[in-house]
Amino acid sequence: MNITFPHLGNTYIAAKVLFEGLGVDYTIPPLSSKKTLEIGCLYSPDDVCLPFKIMIGNYVESIQRGADTVLITGSCGPCRFGEYCELQKKILLSLDKDIKFIVIDEPAKIGIREFLNRLSMVAKDSKLSKAKKIKALSMAVKTINLIDNIEKECRFFAGFEKNKGEFARLLKTVKLEAIEAKGAEKTLKVLEEHYEKLKKIEIDNFKNPIKIGIIGEIYTIIDPLSNMYIEDILMNLGVSTRRTLYPSWWVKNTVLSGLKINFSKIYKESKEYLGLCIGGHARECIGEAILNYKHGFDGLIQIFPVGCMPEIVSKAILPDIERRYGIPILSLVVDEMTGEAGYYTRVEAFLDLIEGRKKLCI
Amino acid sequence: MIIGIPNALLNIKYRDAIQEFFQNIGVTTFVSPKTNKEILDLGVLNCVDEACLPVKVFHGHVEYLRDRCDFILVPRIMKLQKNEFICPKFCGLPEMIKYSLDIKNIIAPTIVAYDNKTLKKSLYELVKPLNIKKEKFEKAFEAFKSNLYKYRNLDYKNSDLKVLLLGHPYLIYDDFINMNIIKKLKAFGVSVYTEDNVDFYDYTYRLIKKPFWTFLRNTYNCAISLIETGKIDGIIYVSSFACGIDSFSIDLIKKDIGSFPYLVLKIDEHTGEAGIDTRLEAFVDLLKRRAKNEYNFSTLG
Ligand code: SF4
Ligand code: SF4
Repeated sequence: MNITFPHLGNTYIAAKVLFEGLGVDYTIPPLSSKKTLEIGCLYSPDDVCLPFKIMIGNYVESIQRGADTVLITGSCGPCRFGEYCELQKKILLSLDKDIKFIVIDEPAKIGIREFLNRLSMVAKDSKLSKAKKIKALSMAVKTINLIDNIEKECRFFAGFEKNKGEFARLLKTVKLEAIEAKGAEKTLKVLEEHYEKLKKIEIDNFKNPIKIGIIGEIYTIIDPLSNMYIEDILMNLGVSTRRTLYPSWWVKNTVLSGLKINFSKIYKESKEYLGLCIGGHARECIGEAILNYKHGFDGLIQIFPVGCMPEIVSKAILPDIERRYGIPILSLVVDEMTGEAGYYTRVEAFLDLIEGRKKLCI
Repeated sequence: MIIGIPNALLNIKYRDAIQEFFQNIGVTTFVSPKTNKEILDLGVLNCVDEACLPVKVFHGHVEYLRDRCDFILVPRIMKLQKNEFICPKFCGLPEMIKYSLDIKNIIAPTIVAYDNKTLKKSLYELVKPLNIKKEKFEKAFEAFKSNLYKYRNLDYKNSDLKVLLLGHPYLIYDDFINMNIIKKLKAFGVSVYTEDNVDFYDYTYRLIKKPFWTFLRNTYNCAISLIETGKIDGIIYVSSFACGIDSFSIDLIKKDIGSFPYLVLKIDEHTGEAGIDTRLEAFVDLLKRRAKNEYNFSTLG
């Protein structure tokens, strides 16, 4: 058995730790690129949302490299993500009928026991004791939290750094070194070392950079290919960005929702606009918008793929938040045809607008 | 007090039942007219660009009703089957309307209706502020229930060519958006079945995971049942661009039916009628040719 999985931000590093900890064969799909997307589009229905296509591209590229078992998450929300696995399975089987699937569903839906049951299918090939398996899992959870935290801090403090480019460089090296490192423990150690280094990077507290919140559809804002590397671009321009929806957030939220705890401030803030879950992450989008405003951010960028159903609802609501709180919001809709030039021009124009407002305020 | 009922989305299907329900509890209603150019334009103008055509049309109907009644009914339909959903846009419809049209006087009951009890509860919540007597409500509710299936009597004359017309009810029943497709097919001498006037069975066991969209499940089951029982000669699927659910149903069905004649028509506000006509005609020709060829092989093995 050789397991593969789709990319979602930094999860590949955590997956590496998990599978190496378990001693199970795995294949990390190559980082999503234009080619991945091309492959994905070739095999996917035209109208399906962008994340679907990129994921198909990931699977195919992994299968070409020897993977034979595909790990699919089917969260059962009222959105397409939950319906993905069915069609994806059909598509992959039509390419290679021997592919196996492991579908991981939200514990809230299928019950904790069944959830653990399916998880243990992943570790079927592992000869380790149960305690060691659990240790591998907990190391993986630690990894995702650590790497996401590193990324979060790098992206936020990039606007405040004394020597330009330090945070960007650190973020790049930590990911490269983590993936090169041999074994679960070593990988975790690389992360810890870099976290220490990160704290030592000099910061200029008197700087007043533009601060932007990134909100929208979870996959699109996490996956750099889908959002056309928006965070890297903003980072290079010396803009501080913040985004709450990270894979680690998703893990926490999913587990907690399994235990029926609704922990987040996000839901409190979004209540006035959207009282209940309509699927996808529309509520998080609205809640985040308001929270970012309260934390003194200068603007918000909402990104979602063409045809994304829940985010269309958020897009209808956002103008009201913009008016009421006076925070500029830019909505970017992406698909495989989005041209880079037009996209970046819109982002630049948006930054100019915010810069202008900032000068006026001081 | 006059309550306006936008003649769009699922309201189209249940219009008569809704209207009679309100009549029975003594509330006057006003239903917007069938979709027309003016309503469509109002919708396109006021709705989020990225939305699908039916949602835009709904916006148009609400805008049309805006100054013509005191309140407008914008139901938030969450569930029509246990453990299933309909569409995120239905769940967020009141919000979309409220903020895109900047309109305050909407009534947005949350409808969770997967059995008698839940349906009753949803409707009761809706009329509670009106202080209706219990008996009156009971009576109106019973009438509502028996009216729910009225729309089923779409007449279809029996001809040799039978086509299953798939698609969301608000596309099938709205002659303006679907450009009179039923009439056109009849003119070609084709008899038309729709999801609502046939019985079908559950074929979802063929899928690895139970679908959680009611629309998807119905469409899939209906298509597979009718093919399996040899009732139809072809399928026409009317869908709107940017419909997330159809993007799956269309392909799930396609992957299951092999070379069975299958025409997918996607529409939005820019779709030209001429193009649709040509494709319909070509498809009917194909069906006629196949019928002549006596090889009536089963495509499903
Ligand atoms: S939230 Fe949007 S992008 Fe995600 S599955 Fe749903 S429609 Fe697709
Ligand atoms: S089901 Fe499709 S057509 Fe209907 S409202 Fe949802 S996205 Fe639009």
